[in-house]
Amino acid sequence: MKKNILRVIFIFFVLIITSCENNQKPNEINIYSQRHYAVDELQYENFTKQTGIKVNVTKANADELIQRLKIEGSSSSADLFITVDVGKLWQAGDMGLLQKIEDETITSNIKKEFLDPNNFWVPLTFRSRIIVYSKDRVNVNELDSYESLADKKWENRLLIRSSSNSYNQALMSSIIANNGPKVAEQWSSDIVSNLARDPKGNDRDQVKAIAAGQGDLAVVNSYYIGLLLSSEKEDELNAGNSVGVFFPNQRVDQSGAHINVSGIALTKNSPNKENALKLIAYLTSSVAQQTYVDNTYEYSVNPEIEPNKIVKQWGDFKKDNLDLNMLGVKRNEAIRIFDKTGWK
Amino acid sequence: MEISLNQIKKNSFKSLIVVLLAFIIVLPIIALFVISIGFDTTNFFYFADYLLLDYTLSTLYLLVLTIFFSFLFGIVPAWFISTSKFKGRRFYDLLLYLPLAIPTYIMAFSYGDILSFSGPFQSFVRDFIPSLTTLVNQDYLQIEVLSILLSFSLYPYLYAACRISFSLIGNNYINLSKNLGLNELKTFFKIGIPLSLPAIFSAIFLISMEVLNEYGAVSYFGINTYTSGIFRAWGSMADMETASILAILLFLVVCFFFFIERWITNRYNYSFKSNSDLSPNFKNSYQKLVLIHITSLIIILAAFVIPIIYMVNNIFVDFDNIDFFDVFNLSKNTIFISFIASILIILVVLFIQYVKRISNSKILNFVGEIISLTYALPGAVIGISIILLFAPINDSLGFLLIGSIPVLVYAYFIRYMAVAVSPILTSFKKYPKKLDDAGKSIGLKPFQFFRKIFIPLNNNAIIIAFCICFVDIMKDLPLTLILRPFNFDTLATQTYEYAIEEMITKSSIYSLTIIIFGIILLSILSIKQSKK
Repeated sequence: MKKNILRVIFIFFVLIITSCENNQKPNEINIYSQRHYAVDELQYENFTKQTGIKVNVTKANADELIQRLKIEGSSSSADLFITVDVGKLWQAGDMGLLQKIEDETITSNIKKEFLDPNNFWVPLTFRSRIIVYSKDRVNVNELDSYESLADKKWENRLLIRSSSNSYNQALMSSIIANNGPKVAEQWSSDIVSNLARDPKGNDRDQVKAIAAGQGDLAVVNSYYIGLLLSSEKEDELNAGNSVGVFFPNQRVDQSGAHINVSGIALTKNSPNKENALKLIAYLTSSVAQQTYVDNTYEYSVNPEIEPNKIVKQWGDFKKDNLDLNMLGVKRNEAIRIFDKTGWK
Repeated sequence: MEISLNQIKKNSFKSLIVVLLAFIIVLPIIALFVISIGFDTTNFFYFADYLLLDYTLSTLYLLVLTIFFSFLFGIVPAWFISTSKFKGRRFYDLLLYLPLAIPTYIMAFSYGDILSFSGPFQSFVRDFIPSLTTLVNQDYLQIEVLSILLSFSLYPYLYAACRISFSLIGNNYINLSKNLGLNELKTFFKIGIPLSLPAIFSAIFLISMEVLNEYGAVSYFGINTYTSGIFRAWGSMADMETASILAILLFLVVCFFFFIERWITNRYNYSFKSNSDLSPNFKNSYQKLVLIHITSLIIILAAFVIPIIYMVNNIFVDFDNIDFFDVFNLSKNTIFISFIASILIILVVLFIQYVKRISNSKILNFVGEIISLTYALPGAVIGISIILLFAPINDSLGFLLIGSIPVLVYAYFIRYMAVAVSPILTSFKKYPKKLDDAGKSIGLKPFQFFRKIFIPLNNNAIIIAFCICFVDIMKDLPLTLILRPFNFDTLATQTYEYAIEEMITKSSIYSLTIIIFGIILLSILSIKQSKK
């Protein structure tokens, strides 16, 4: 009996040790990613074909990945960290989990306005948080800015998802950074009193709710409209077609439409740094950027690449030129305003 | 007492291993306490001031509603199927287990889409019954709707527990009750329910844990539960320490209810003689038959058939884009990891229960109980505490344990242990101690007796425990997401990734594959159960 148990324990240990891996491998890189679009795998495959470097990915939620990076410390095998919200990149940088990227090939791929002043992250794509409205019930001339969504005329007509969602947290952070916390708080409580229903569902559900007549306008990420308009389901296509797209804050004296980037960062202890930089350079190159634009309806950060034709027909727009790091810096304050004003 | 002390001494090696195993199992909880030592209280008090009451109330409301609907969907058909004879009984019995194979978040996302304005339900009404268009055009993302959807995938826990219990009550008591002039309804309330209380309580415990741990579906429905609070503290405020404190508080509350449950169970543990004649025996009036068929059919249709048709339809819509090789690969991963973890769990649970039985010590009894409690912690929190546990080993040994298969299996092991304990324990308790003595008298050593007689006797329960474990691990999301090796996807993670990116159509092939495997296993379970 004792012998048997000891034998089992021994075999178990051998199994554990043999199944574990070393950090550093000559031709591999390891990514912790919050992005889980099918196009990402395509990008990595193309990169491997071109360079022979194998790309390993673990996909999970940003907060869990940040925590894992923090706990793993210097023994972490991760080379790169990818998120869909720049606030999380700022947070990882702030926690000392990242190292600066100073690489001419990479920065030359990207429009200056999107670069991180501190060089802790590199943008891969960007998206805007736009207003969509019912073509039947809203005249586009009535729309103006995020701030004007607080207007009494939108009472019981506005749709937006929960404040737990990081896209909304980023939007609120930008409003705090642009207008100050007092204005932001008033804005938040006015928005809550204008809501047609409690915040719920995802961005697509807000559009569907407009189609259903439960509200007249909604705040959503731009690429979801692209996805609806390219859907193979007729009902989704109809929902997409029933709304108009409006970029807020476009007047000369206004800040421009809020944008957020999906970005990549080099971890502090990256075991395969050189290869990791090669991947960043590849992902920001025009070939890879074209692949992003065609598959996810996001905007490219590379000046050479035009948006997909569905997205392009909405026209060019003025972007909020706030330092994107503010979307992380102001995050905690944003949450508190949400809670205080009852934005669920 | 002296005898049992002696026995403990005799079995000291085995008891030591049990205590060691229990320690390994509760290690993450200890780690969680360690994380939260010396935490900054600002966020916690902020949370307590602004959110705690609201979040707790909506959690309780959701919990009560879900338990209520699970009762409705679970107990009523379980009673009819256990006590009446009618055509299609076996068929219903099988189908009523199956919704357990549908993960709660898939149920919620699917119905969210089915009921939405652009979904099939409203489109159908618009095209064929236009007069009802405005009536059905509602906002369905409500807490009440969510509770019904959650109970669709959770009621089988109650159904399974009551099926066993009602069958065991059997004819003797029911005949007695008939002779005393009680009708079926009264028999149900006066005999059926009271004698099944322990089974009902343990099922409610599992259902409550699932509801408390649910995150995907509740956040989609915009409902703030206690677990959303944990994630809000963690994610939005970047404060893992406060999240841990909240998790520990939840854990303590759950412990409290767990021990109350045990207390009630022990109090109500009527040792009734289970019955020899299992054939169902209530007479079926015409009205009753209609009632049986309608209730069973509605439940099966709503909780199982409709979601399945929806997924199959999605698969046809997206058929050209499906990567079947990928589906095959992920199925392989999923089966591999669920199989290893379930086998390990069953072996350890058997071992612990066996040692508990032969040593008969209070300490070991207690140990046997506490290992079930890890089920109360949110999966993502267990995930982080496991990373915390293994990080020092990473550092000192130079190879990576985190993100390896053994650590993932370990995580499943501690998380899903509770699921296996209850059927095995229930089954063991049925056999009296006399049996062990009989084994001794024919010269078998305890371990031999256990292997040659006890395990075959409890074969059914072991298979049931294995199946439920397997299905649960297959559906697991939070642990797999954060602890899996590089490039290791399972059907559940892939389903989730598409669903979270709002591509439900693409996720359907993966969720349907989970469900198909689940159906196969649950069919085995159902067949075993009816043999039992």
